[in-house]
Amino acid sequence: MRHPNQATLALHAGGDLGRFARWRTTRHLAQCGRCREEAAAFEDVRRVLPELTEMPDVPWNRLAAEIKANIRLGVAAGECVRAAEPPRRESLLFNAGRAAVAFASIVVLVVTGMVLEHPAPTLARQGPLVENTRYGIQVVQPGGQTLGLMNAGAQKVTYLMDARGSMEARYVDPETGYVTINTVYAQ
Amino acid sequence: MLGLLGAASLLAQDGAVSDCFVKINLPADSPVALLGTTGSCRPTARGPALMLDVNVSLTVRNISANRIHGVRLRVVSQEVVAGGVATVYQPSLNVGPGETFPMRIVAQLMRPTQVAVGPLVQVNLDGVLFQDFSFYGENRLHSRRIMTANEMEAQRDREYLKRVLAQGGVPALRDAILKILKRQDDLPQLTGRWLRGGHTVTNAALAAVAPEHEAKFASLQFPDSPIQLMDGSAMLAGNEARAPSIEVRNIARQPVRYVELGLVLTDSSGRQYLACSLPSTDPAFSLPPGGSARVSQQDTLNFSAAGQPVNIQKMTSFVSQVEYSDGKVWVPNRQSLDNSILEKVLAPSAEEQRLATLYVRKSIDSVVEELKKF
Repeated sequence: MRHPNQATLALHAGGDLGRFARWRTTRHLAQCGRCREEAAAFEDVRRVLPELTEMPDVPWNRLAAEIKANIRLGVAAGECVRAAEPPRRESLLFNAGRAAVAFASIVVLVVTGMVLEHPAPTLARQGPLVENTRYGIQVVQPGGQTLGLMNAGAQKVTYLMDARGSMEARYVDPETGYVTINTVYAQ
Repeated sequence: MLGLLGAASLLAQDGAVSDCFVKINLPADSPVALLGTTGSCRPTARGPALMLDVNVSLTVRNISANRIHGVRLRVVSQEVVAGGVATVYQPSLNVGPGETFPMRIVAQLMRPTQVAVGPLVQVNLDGVLFQDFSFYGENRLHSRRIMTANEMEAQRDREYLKRVLAQGGVPALRDAILKILKRQDDLPQLTGRWLRGGHTVTNAALAAVAPEHEAKFASLQFPDSPIQLMDGSAMLAGNEARAPSIEVRNIARQPVRYVELGLVLTDSSGRQYLACSLPSTDPAFSLPPGGSARVSQQDTLNFSAAGQPVNIQKMTSFVSQVEYSDGKVWVPNRQSLDNSILEKVLAPSAEEQRLATLYVRKSIDSVVEELKKF
């Protein structure tokens, strides 16, 4: 016997089913005691609902919290009683040996990466940085403020760094035709 | 919002450069006068920062009675004044009284968008060097020594080319100029980064292969050098050199107050580059005749070439500049520079570059005429 679902029984209790669905459900209820009890419970709820609207100061927030707590409790209880998953069957494509090889490969990859990267003294920059770029020379402060002197479109530029923290760019200015020596200092 | 408003107000600043963002300060007794400025200042929003492109052309007149051979301007950005300053220097000038010459400042600033009060860039006169080596200026960035050394190099190279012209005529002078151009073209280009204290972001693989180790310097000793190089080393790791230090001895008869060394690096393929200069920075540095001292820096230098890290194998030092206590400056002579290592790594001097450019833009006759002016 195929039983109507909860929604159909609730709609039947409220008299909201269509003509054919109501005839079919009434016919089923005549033969099924369990569904008859369900439908009767829905009719009881319907009778109580108008009274609920008259209840003063319903603590909806507390009710919502209780409902959420009950849902969580139910979910947790469900996890407790869930049967353990059956063990994965070994196949030609997936077996312990292949898993070991895959794991070892990952370990080798990670160790190689660490060997190559870890000794790099890539410390956070505390002080200013002086450098030459494609377009000129610049001093960059730790906060990102930058002062740069550009090569003004010169083709051949000679750079010279000074170990005390300055950089020089020498070129012939294409506009003035004069030799120009730019220097930035990180003082 | 304030930054955006500031940027918007700056957008229309082409033409005459406003004092709002670039201010040229010349003292009342300055030997040069500013006849005019043109240029532009273009702000571009870069995330939370504002990038400012400044391109200013100055027209400067020599209002002194002497011929000017060099002018050095100090450029200070308001935002980075605590840690950043720059200079724009025109060496190898030959500007007579009443004559004018152009100077150009092409700068780029990255700054927070909060607009500060006052000009963003201040330009001051740090030094003017005259034909007779007399000097005018605030000299805050050692302009006197730097400009004197450049002028001595210029005199040295002009004398050499005059000798070539006298001995071999115009064809010999043309050959000498062509050699300068070839040297400029063949110069290995190095990208360098300097970082105070700790390490730069070095190449990890190179550092793993070659962990930091102390490497002794080789040295080139010039016969006429007032300074003898004794013993030097630096900490090397991959493409990084840290804390270079070298002991020097004064073998001249006069006290020395400044020494500057050049460091040449050799990579794993044997290619050589002029890596950096190593100056004595202690203001109290003083080397009596026969005395010795260490020239050292604690900071870190990082090198790459053509986008690839340079695996430093060896460093070679030489004396590039010495200042005596009386302010006179020594620079290496042509015979000293005629060296198998230095001829590959040293750029032509500013004067050689100027004369070679004159040859390219005009003719060998223009170079001959130019040499006759000195």
